[in-house]
Amino acid sequence: MAEGQILFSEDNLEEGQKGKYMTFKTGNEYFGIAINYVCEIIGIQPITAVPEVESYIKGLINLRGKIIPVIDMRARFNIEPLEYTDRTCIIVIDVKGTTVGLIIEKIAEVVTIDDEDIIPPPSLTHRNTSNNKYVYGIGKIGDQVKMLLDPEKLIKDEDMSIMGSLADDDADANEE
Amino acid sequence: MKILLAEDDFASRKFMQKYLDKYGECDVTVDGGEAVDAFLMALEDEEPYDLICLDIMMPVLDGYQVLKAIRSMEKERGIEGDKMVKIIMTTALNEEKNVRVAFELGCTVYCNKPIDQEKFEQVLSKLKLV
Amino acid sequence: MAEDFNVEGMLDIFLFESEQLLDNLQDIVLEMKDESRFDDDSINEIFRVMHTIKGSSGIMMYEDITTVSHKLEDVFYYLRDTYPDNVPHVKLVEYVLEVADYISGELEKIKEGGEPDGDSSKLVAEIDSFLTQIKTGIIDSGEDLPPENEHQEATQFYIPAAPGEASKYFRITLHFFNDTQMCNIRAYQAVYELKEYAEDLIFSPEDIISNEDSGEVILQEGFRILLMTKSDRAEIKSILEKCSGVELVDIKESTAQEMMLGFSDDVIMEQPSPIVIALDDEEAKKAKEKAEAVTPGDYVVVKQDVGKKKQIAKHTKGPSKAAFMSVSVEKMDQLMDLIGEMVIAEAAVLENPDLKVPGLELSNFQKAAGQLAKITSDLQDVTMSMRMVSLQATFQKMNRIVFDVSRKLDKDIELEVIGENTEVDKNIIEHISDPLMHLIRNSVDHGIEDKEGRKAAGKPKKGKITLEAKNEGGKVYIIVRDDGAGLDKEKIYSKARQKGLIDSRSINEYSAKEIYQFITYPGFSTNETVTEYSGRGVGMDVVVKNIQNINGTLEIDSVPGQGSEMTLKIPLTLAIINGIVMEAGTGLFVIETSLVKEFVRVNEDMLVHEPNGEKYIMIRGECYPFMNLAKRYNMMSTESETIEDGVVIVMDYDGKNICVLVDKLVAQQEIVVKPIPNYIKRVRGLSGCTQLGDGSVALILDLPGLMLGEEKVK
Repeated sequence: MAEGQILFSEDNLEEGQKGKYMTFKTGNEYFGIAINYVCEIIGIQPITAVPEVESYIKGLINLRGKIIPVIDMRARFNIEPLEYTDRTCIIVIDVKGTTVGLIIEKIAEVVTIDDEDIIPPPSLTHRNTSNNKYVYGIGKIGDQVKMLLDPEKLIKDEDMSIMGSLADDDADANEE
Repeated sequence: MKILLAEDDFASRKFMQKYLDKYGECDVTVDGGEAVDAFLMALEDEEPYDLICLDIMMPVLDGYQVLKAIRSMEKERGIEGDKMVKIIMTTALNEEKNVRVAFELGCTVYCNKPIDQEKFEQVLSKLKLV
Repeated sequence: MAEDFNVEGMLDIFLFESEQLLDNLQDIVLEMKDESRFDDDSINEIFRVMHTIKGSSGIMMYEDITTVSHKLEDVFYYLRDTYPDNVPHVKLVEYVLEVADYISGELEKIKEGGEPDGDSSKLVAEIDSFLTQIKTGIIDSGEDLPPENEHQEATQFYIPAAPGEASKYFRITLHFFNDTQMCNIRAYQAVYELKEYAEDLIFSPEDIISNEDSGEVILQEGFRILLMTKSDRAEIKSILEKCSGVELVDIKESTAQEMMLGFSDDVIMEQPSPIVIALDDEEAKKAKEKAEAVTPGDYVVVKQDVGKKKQIAKHTKGPSKAAFMSVSVEKMDQLMDLIGEMVIAEAAVLENPDLKVPGLELSNFQKAAGQLAKITSDLQDVTMSMRMVSLQATFQKMNRIVFDVSRKLDKDIELEVIGENTEVDKNIIEHISDPLMHLIRNSVDHGIEDKEGRKAAGKPKKGKITLEAKNEGGKVYIIVRDDGAGLDKEKIYSKARQKGLIDSRSINEYSAKEIYQFITYPGFSTNETVTEYSGRGVGMDVVVKNIQNINGTLEIDSVPGQGSEMTLKIPLTLAIINGIVMEAGTGLFVIETSLVKEFVRVNEDMLVHEPNGEKYIMIRGECYPFMNLAKRYNMMSTESETIEDGVVIVMDYDGKNICVLVDKLVAQQEIVVKPIPNYIKRVRGLSGCTQLGDGSVALILDLPGLMLGEEKVK
């Protein structure tokens, strides 16, 4: 794991990957994910649909023998769906041991955004709130803007809603 | 009580010495060879040790060899029963095999590191050393 | 005994041996419980067990265990010489079991890392007065009291390491700036700084102080350290950051095994493997010394007789020693996984689309492929057989439960055990113990009548419960049979109605078996009063649920006045199943082949629509429940398929037939069961997923879950 590496410079200790973000396009926006969450990027794959799950969980894919769930980011942000093309990618991320694939329209590049260039998202927003709770900051590069995603929230929130729905409809069939 | 501590690792030795100091006068050696010498010296001065703490992995002579040497020297001199010095092996090796070998060679207590101080004290009182 | 497995820690050995002795003890006692007194052999054996435990617990300084075992040893010491008539046998049996329970409880605490702090004084006092009674009995019988049992205090002691948090292992590489002078000395400083936090530490190159050239090596290759510590990564990182000249710190998690291997070779083992081979040659000994500790409960594999495994392996001495090998559970699971992957890979090769070119001459390939397939399948069988564990230990536990519960309820019950050598996969055994315990308790409590009841019914005074296991058609049957009053159909029916668990059909519309199944419905419990032993809020529904979790079923049968029979049907293994792959709508599914009775093409006319939305299908004059799988899961594909295009799979569910419509059958093949990633919530009717030969993922259907879900949807 690259996580354990730190780079030293004479007067400024800084983690090598700090400030680096993998950016990608979904809908009309560019998003960024801190690079230390990203395991790899693969092309779109055949996906096996799983019934009775949230609509944005598209199903399961086989990542070299490991079966992982994939999330469609458009569906996640409530944007109308789009055909997958050969530009569609899956970003495989690892959030505290949970491996999930994110289906995105187009991969952009890895950028470095300094902390001082990140501003918190405006608290009053006319945008869909479900969109905003995963965005913890807005990164500026020149005149471009990237919405920085908090993958932990993206995953954790899900877990909670999953628990909720389990408790609701599984009252008679709950596990032990 | 007169104590002999044989331990090659500096940090462990420092800790053990500090710990044992409260029970009595504690001599320290850094390898097994010295430990045997110290034991003999004390015997000849007729001020034998009451307790010997031996690390197992030590240079020159390891803990087992020291243990064996001490027990056979005691035998030679007709020291037996309660007169025999109490020997505690202190080691990180916890395999049953090692424990069995140590018991067969005649150690009194086999104590795994890190040392459980409560039990250590319990043993000392069982052995009527404190 | 320990000679075979002497790489285990002292404490592990103590726990393991004591547990074995206690198991042994319990077996003897339960075997003798119905006799009028213990015979000489059992007395000697109990004496020996107590003596051994007394001795070893003395060394370990578990004083209470020593005292209790000493007391019981004394009792049997006297009985060895003279067995006075005034010894109440049942009382004695109870004392022995109580002592066994007490010690087991204490051992459990030690295992959990706690202190054995249970109060033994009451037990000791009780046994003491019992002992006095025995002594009086001996004197009264005119015999001389044997000399006091000489008790030797332990003279050697063992102190296990102080409990603390588990040590962590790190593999660290330090890179220094290119122009750094005297890297070796700086490296040593880093080592020095770490020492305070390290429990153990090795580094490479080793000769950093004495060899000035080592500095050059460090500059080129970095300075490598293996560290065992209780500190966390961040702490270590910050310590190393402070060292001068360090450009880059690379810290990776490591393991005890890597630490043991050191830098002797540069192969980084990803999953080092503890394997102990009890062969007698030198090489094996060396391997043994190098190997990691094997913890109790690990697989013990016996070459000639897979059945008797663990006990033989741990007890046998002498020549047969060479036949045993002990392998860690983790390793076995890994092997199983790998074989699973291989089965998939094999399918990927043999079914490769590249081979499907028309006119390709493949006879040599087919021959080789056939050979490969055979080897793969043999390999799979052998691996499976290594994972097989007999039900013996599980069944023995039941013996104890019958004894305890029947005594508390003042019933006289005998347990007959048949086929306890039947084997099932290790991971299944873990799941059947609890359900089985529940069924047995039920039989003792509700099944067998009380003494008056049996008398009135003209039955023998002693009730009988039979616990039988057998292997049939790739499944294991475990049957719990009692000769009690049997189930009361009417009572069950009215209760189920009253609780609103069933619809308004009359009792005659249900078969007897269907009515018995009602007791497995959640919220059902026939006994009005909740007793201590069964019906503690958790009912048969939990039993059924646990069994379903391992793809098993429970069947209930009963003859009023003559008794009931509960049959558990469980698969031999969970890891690999033979399955049929099929498409339904946008989904790809697998169903276990053994559940499938037949495939039928149907047409719309055969469907019967009930007004309430339920559908049935008429096949050859029989009417079966019908389900469209794609519709059930809301996975209809866009192009509308008619029922004529699909295939109906007739499946057997609990003796009932059910028909499921799918679009297309894809293949029949060996399926490696994998769990659905946790991130996906549990979907009713799916028990896992698998990877097919072409790399695609299929979902494994779980019929009971599917049926339950369907009922719920209704």
